[in-house]
Amino acid sequence: MLTEVKNQIKVNILSTKYALEREMLNKVTFVSNIIFMILNNASFIVQWVILYAIKDNIGGYSFKQVLLLWGLAAMGYGVSRFFFKNAFNLSDMINTGKLDNYLVQPKNVLLAAITSDVEVSALGDILYAYIILLIYGLSLKSFLLFTLFGITAGFILASVSVIFSSLAFWFGRVEVISNTLNSIMTNFATYPEGIFKGIIKILFYTILPLGFASYLPVQIMTNFNIYNLLVVIFIVLLFIGLAFLTFYKGLRKYSSTNLMNARV
Amino acid sequence: MAVITVKDLSKNFKVKVKEKGLKGSIKSIIKPKYNIIKAVKNISFSIEKGEMVAFIGPNGAGKSTSIKMMTGILFPDKGEIDVLGLNPEKDRRKLAYSIGCVFGQKEQLWTHLTPYDNFKFFGAIYDIPEKQVEKKIDEFRELFELDEFINTPVRNLSLGQRIRCEIVASLIHEPKVLFLDEPTIGLDPVVKEKIRTLIKRMNKEYKTTVILTSHDVSDIEKLCKRVIIVNKGQIVLDDTMENLKYHYLNKKIIDAKMKEKVNLEDKDGITILKDKDYNLKLEVDLKKTSISEAINLLNTDNIIDINISNVPLEQIISSIYKDGDK
Amino acid sequence: MKKYIYIFKSELMTNLQYIFDIIVGFISYCIMIFIFFNLWKYIYSDPSELINGYSMGQMIWYVIVTEILWMSLGGRQLSKKICNDVRSGNIAYNINKPYNYVGYILFSHMGLFLLKFILLTILGVVLGLIFLGSFPNISILSIVLVLISCLFATIINILLITTIALISFYIEDANPFYWLYSKVILILGTIFPIEFFPVFLQPIFKYSPIYVVSYGPAKLFVDFNWNSCIEIFILQGAYLILSILLSNFIYKKGVRKLNVNGG
Repeated sequence: MLTEVKNQIKVNILSTKYALEREMLNKVTFVSNIIFMILNNASFIVQWVILYAIKDNIGGYSFKQVLLLWGLAAMGYGVSRFFFKNAFNLSDMINTGKLDNYLVQPKNVLLAAITSDVEVSALGDILYAYIILLIYGLSLKSFLLFTLFGITAGFILASVSVIFSSLAFWFGRVEVISNTLNSIMTNFATYPEGIFKGIIKILFYTILPLGFASYLPVQIMTNFNIYNLLVVIFIVLLFIGLAFLTFYKGLRKYSSTNLMNARV
Repeated sequence: MAVITVKDLSKNFKVKVKEKGLKGSIKSIIKPKYNIIKAVKNISFSIEKGEMVAFIGPNGAGKSTSIKMMTGILFPDKGEIDVLGLNPEKDRRKLAYSIGCVFGQKEQLWTHLTPYDNFKFFGAIYDIPEKQVEKKIDEFRELFELDEFINTPVRNLSLGQRIRCEIVASLIHEPKVLFLDEPTIGLDPVVKEKIRTLIKRMNKEYKTTVILTSHDVSDIEKLCKRVIIVNKGQIVLDDTMENLKYHYLNKKIIDAKMKEKVNLEDKDGITILKDKDYNLKLEVDLKKTSISEAINLLNTDNIIDINISNVPLEQIISSIYKDGDK
Repeated sequence: MKKYIYIFKSELMTNLQYIFDIIVGFISYCIMIFIFFNLWKYIYSDPSELINGYSMGQMIWYVIVTEILWMSLGGRQLSKKICNDVRSGNIAYNINKPYNYVGYILFSHMGLFLLKFILLTILGVVLGLIFLGSFPNISILSIVLVLISCLFATIINILLITTIALISFYIEDANPFYWLYSKVILILGTIFPIEFFPVFLQPIFKYSPIYVVSYGPAKLFVDFNWNSCIEIFILQGAYLILSILLSNFIYKKGVRKLNVNGG
């Protein structure tokens, strides 16, 4: 069992490494992709500087907390897009029969599929996140918690995308729906929870689990609470489990390329 | 000992039917219509250890679907499959250790890496210790004549070289059964011949059972001793190559060029395929009549040129498809 | 002129087929407006408060208009297409065709824009009415003028993006330049009116493209007066002429360079 897990992780790391090497073939594009992403994220600071010049508390967050929120959002986005890029193309892979090659390998199909490519600009997001952490205040504790929550957020975002993309097994073209959901999560992720009221808050703790990906972590980092930390970890595991469950349930309906060929 | 047993295997696909235009799009969202396509209908067969079996059939006949069910890619709707004592549906991962697959249209290699690094990656996928992988690569290097390009990135290789590497990559874990889906698609005849020789050599060396699909009849003629012809989801013929040829080699084709026009009519065992000006083409069924009988009909003094030949395999197979249609 | 109208029409028809995809994409628009509504509602402690001269209603209508302009523009798609045309050498085929490449790009892209613009406008008005329950105090004539200035804003925007993308003739990839342009418009021209920025920056903004492609039409809509209307149209006219000249100039120069190199 343990060797099996070890071998599985080894293959996924190798796969990510090779995909990264492929992207690094063109050094100029590689570096500029990363730099542009950092600048891109940084440009939005303008918005918050102006908003906090008007009011020093927005949605219950101080400027520092908004920075933290931004950092965590970038980290979660970066981790999910870098390590699991194809979790965000999964419905297309399902519809065009790209799972065939992974299905004949004695490894986990879902992991093989989603780790088979990397998004280079996502490295820019991760770097940016740590720059934000430096501005926020770097300590061993904040570094460790920030890294942990970045990873958990990445897992949550990837899992949610896998769950919705897997609907492609049943309904075919669901890219529009999964893409929209992913972009909604990205849009909301950088605004303080406190400005929203009502139903939307319920969504944050269910199908758009930003509550667990960003809001609760920000709260834990400003006001440490072991109980909340355990909640976050439990929820992450729950979402990962749900992602595997949906995917493997759908895999029984996988039709390889036959659907496309038969389309008249 | 049977390596693969398939019993009453069936698979249907549900295909959404979409009408043209905006109205059609909206309709298909609100009230989707489906067509059921029966890709595989109740097929049964078994394959022995070390056999090389060809699956042939026109596009959409169900050959790829069958192979994909045997490898665990697709789940059957009905029927039983046993590959090496395992059920691909339940023991997909376990089975994967003992089978290898090459899909001619789906590359599995990393194109920016060299074949050597790719093979090592596949070694890791199959949990093979480094040393053993290296040994294995050395072996295949010779067998598949890879020396020239084993250290060149795959993207710089020709299609033929790539396919060779694809095959080696799928053999690295010494599978007992190798599935080749259209391995020679898009290759020129010389390269095709090369690939065939290599597959044959491999089969001889390792006693690997090979299941192959192809459009190209010559692939099959040269490689396989047994043919399974599939059409419209059903097996229309499952026989040895020898029998197939023998059965249909009872027919000969006579091409004759005549001095003057002869008026012939179909006779028992003789079919006129073409009768244009002074050129005649006859098919003679040797079970019912003989060549001399046919030539006598022509009046030997009148013949300028004559050519007697076997029916090409390609034609045999397409006539079998047609029989299956009826 | 007939052929350009044909290009425009055929592009519009092609896009009609993907109408479902486009509509689903509009969910993003709703989300943006929803977020801004919540944000400003939180920041304005009472609806009668004015921040930098804007009421809460005006702030939200401002964003509704700028976001319509921004999202119906499809700038990245445009820039990518032109960069690819240049890099792949496709642009060389256009040289022999009996139309002007810049004209072709403008009209074909307008087909896409107009479809999205109409749908987004309907959506934006509905959203504004739902969230705010009121409509800016504006006459029909003024609305027509705002729509015309929106049209000018987009034409200028397309031509400027075309100019930027055609830099691909000289450097390998002009997409980063487009990116920079889009960031400036998005951050400085979409989220806040010019008045929210430090006083010393405001005159610079006023003569920058931000004013004519984004701020102008939106400001006109939330606070119509004839003085600023005339001012905006004058500036848009100047930018229109400038961008036509610039885009054609860089295209002609670039093509000549291409010919020298033998394509």
